[in-house]
Amino acid sequence: MKRAILPGGVVVVILLLAVLAPWLGLPDPVRQDVAHRLTGPITGHLLGRDEFGRDVLSRLIWGARTSLVVAFASAAIAGVLGTILGLIGGWFRGIGAMLAVRSMDVVLCFPPILLALLIVTLLGPGAGTLIMMLSLLFLPGFARVTYAEVLSARRHEYVEAVRALGATSPRILARTILPNVAGPVLVQLSLAVAAAVALESGLSFLGLGVVPPAPSWGLMIRGARATMEQAPLLLLWPCAALTVTILAMNLLCDAVRDAADPRGHPAAARPRVIDRLLPGLAPPANPDLVLEMQGLTVEIATPRGPIRPVRDVSLGVRAGETLAIVGESGSGKSITATAIMGLLPAAAQPVAGHIWFAERDLLILPEPALRKLRGGAMAMVFQDPMSSLNPVLRIGEQIGEAIRAHTPALGAAARRTRARSLLQRVGIADPDQRLTAYPHEMSGGMRQRVMIAMALANSPRLIIADEPTTALDVTVQAQILDLLADLKRDTGTAMIFISHSLGVVGEIADRVAVMYAGHIVEQGPAAAVFAKPLHPYTKALLDAAPDSDAMPTGIPGIVPSPHHLPAGCSFAPRCARAIDACAATAPPLEPATPDRLVRCLRWASA
Amino acid sequence: MIWIARRVGVSLALIWVVASIVFLALHVVPGDPAELLLSAGGSAPDPATVADLREKLGLDRPLLTQYASFFQGLAHADLGTSLVDDYPVTDEIARRLPRTLELIAAATLLSLLMAIPTGTYAALHRGGLFDRLMSGSAALLLAVPVFVVGTLLVLVLAQTLHIMPAGGYVPWAQSPAQHLVLLVMPALAIAQGLTAVLFRMTRASVLDVLSKDFVRTARAKGIAPARILARHVLRNALTPVLTVLGLHMGALLGGTVLVEYVFNWPGLSTPLLNAVDARDYPMVMGIVLTISTLFLLINLAMDLLYAVLDPRIRTG
Repeated sequence: MKRAILPGGVVVVILLLAVLAPWLGLPDPVRQDVAHRLTGPITGHLLGRDEFGRDVLSRLIWGARTSLVVAFASAAIAGVLGTILGLIGGWFRGIGAMLAVRSMDVVLCFPPILLALLIVTLLGPGAGTLIMMLSLLFLPGFARVTYAEVLSARRHEYVEAVRALGATSPRILARTILPNVAGPVLVQLSLAVAAAVALESGLSFLGLGVVPPAPSWGLMIRGARATMEQAPLLLLWPCAALTVTILAMNLLCDAVRDAADPRGHPAAARPRVIDRLLPGLAPPANPDLVLEMQGLTVEIATPRGPIRPVRDVSLGVRAGETLAIVGESGSGKSITATAIMGLLPAAAQPVAGHIWFAERDLLILPEPALRKLRGGAMAMVFQDPMSSLNPVLRIGEQIGEAIRAHTPALGAAARRTRARSLLQRVGIADPDQRLTAYPHEMSGGMRQRVMIAMALANSPRLIIADEPTTALDVTVQAQILDLLADLKRDTGTAMIFISHSLGVVGEIADRVAVMYAGHIVEQGPAAAVFAKPLHPYTKALLDAAPDSDAMPTGIPGIVPSPHHLPAGCSFAPRCARAIDACAATAPPLEPATPDRLVRCLRWASA
Repeated sequence: MIWIARRVGVSLALIWVVASIVFLALHVVPGDPAELLLSAGGSAPDPATVADLREKLGLDRPLLTQYASFFQGLAHADLGTSLVDDYPVTDEIARRLPRTLELIAAATLLSLLMAIPTGTYAALHRGGLFDRLMSGSAALLLAVPVFVVGTLLVLVLAQTLHIMPAGGYVPWAQSPAQHLVLLVMPALAIAQGLTAVLFRMTRASVLDVLSKDFVRTARAKGIAPARILARHVLRNALTPVLTVLGLHMGALLGGTVLVEYVFNWPGLSTPLLNAVDARDYPMVMGIVLTISTLFLLINLAMDLLYAVLDPRIRTG
């Protein structure tokens, strides 16, 4: 709301001046004194006199009064009538009501000034005509906004409840719906006032609005144009008054609207803390691994302070192996994956760790080199295939550009052949037709096949699949999982598979890493972890899965907010087996067996 | 195809509605239309003159007959004659419309050329110096009424610095250079508000598309940033900009009336304002109908262009 103070103050001052004009001791704004025309500023006439010798300051302030009376009157009339019309139309719906609201839209078929001129021709100029025509111009805006709000408000459960209790329509409209509509109508009102000030001054400037000698900013500009050479200041004062008024109103309106719609602005990117000058000090520990992540920590700058959604995560994956990362929403699994691809949002920065891939640390690799790897040696399949494909480009183009980005020498015909065989490879029956299709012409499963084809385009050594089946039907899920398993077997690609569903993971994973609140809490071979979970969280996840014989049991509580992580074990507040030490001591990730890791003080007593 | 036919049909229907409203407006106002048009300053008009005007406008015939003959006239591009000098309204419009169209086209082109590159750059460097500077200027430009900009341009460039002529018009055939020089200031004045609107829309729209999943996909494919911007971001970001352009054409066409007046540009504005002043209803009706039809046609063109850019519209 800080942004509203200055423009709000200006608007208040202008309003006060306009309201108090008769009591400010100003000279008569219409009294002419031709003998003293165009005289400069003197005591008693701070801004001098105009072409008829009238006091300019007085005319400015009285002009504000004229403008604002016209603006507020027309906005208020349009607001009241439009809101009532929209309320009635929205409440009774029906064809008739909709037509009544919609017919107002005819006003929008005319450029505003032209409709205004048509009305002036019929009614003659004057403040009354102005108010009438401006209300007419703003009426459809209010009717529309209210209509739309009522339609959405009446679907709310509390409105349904009040109706079921037998309240009468007028009562529901006044008590329940009107307060909901108030916000948008107020925004509309402030927009209308600013627009009315501009239109009124424009028409007065043309000599078709306020009738002289009444003071109006538009008329003052019209008059001062003739004497522009002798007295340019006369032109500047009303121009400035008009601009400042409209600007203050616009800014106030923006600030109010933003306050009503608080979408946080992410902070700008900060430079990486990692020392770029000393790369390769800690080389990869295990050359067998396609990808090795060591102690990755990601920090995100939020308006409420920095958070660390990924903390000290280490993992690795071999060729032909599938590593599954499992966890609830907010556990940090997707951020871990996007960090590998170097696709973290600007506000998120890796602050510690290394990600070794092809003997290079991805975290310090410059963007052009990283870009050569992305879509080439490492590729990613995303969760929602609909939003992940560009809606306005054909499938063939989208696969083609993935090929072209890494093999620019390949001709258009060869690219097409390769795209075609990729589609066949992922089990699309009629690849030729599909190449010219748009994403919206395909089913969800088909689109995910296209995404996989795109990931395969340059024979990657690592595929990262981020919840690739979550957005799909259960039957299609199984087909996509089969496809991924086939591909991995045929190509020997390493795969990182991210999922919140243990059932899905059980079908495809060789090894599992369980994440909770940014930490890996357990890691090991899939079969062993499923047979005998060591961490209470893993056990709870397994118990919560619906495919066991027993009734699924939920996990009490929620994932802790990254702003308020517990001092000890992050899972302790939700853990059935927690003891006092758990709340005080953060457990280390320690080897339980040669190939299993667990982060729990009490794993041995499991 | 069906979609296009339907959209064209809607536009034709709207033009019919607009024409009907313009025709009926004279009859909706309480009192005798002829008397209304002749009354000025509160004095009762001479009954003989009123009878004359009534006959001239055909107001003595039944309303439906008048309505039918109005549309018959429209079909033959006949909008009646001026009450002031009996000059055919259609001829006057035909003579002046091209100049107004030229001004509108120049202003729109100027706006697009200024707004799209700056809006895109500001979005790509969000929060930077350029972005803050441009966003601030856009807020200011939005607040200055079009006739104020015009008047101030004359004051500064013509009256004070003497680097531009204060206004006027020279036909292209007579001197192309002079013609263009005189076009610059009015076109700039009209373009100013639209540029601010389009800048804001382009910036918001590019920012919105940048956060889309398919842009992340494109990055994940290793596509070069310039190509992502051109193929993925701009192509999707420009469709809402087009819609806003269409919606703001109304304000632009209205602004043209004011700006032509400020710069003595001999388009439709002069006869329109004179006609409003003289309550010459046939002339006002003809010009308002022409510009409103233009507005509807521009929006039709925008929608068709929209369909070319976004395949989902065509099937949807």
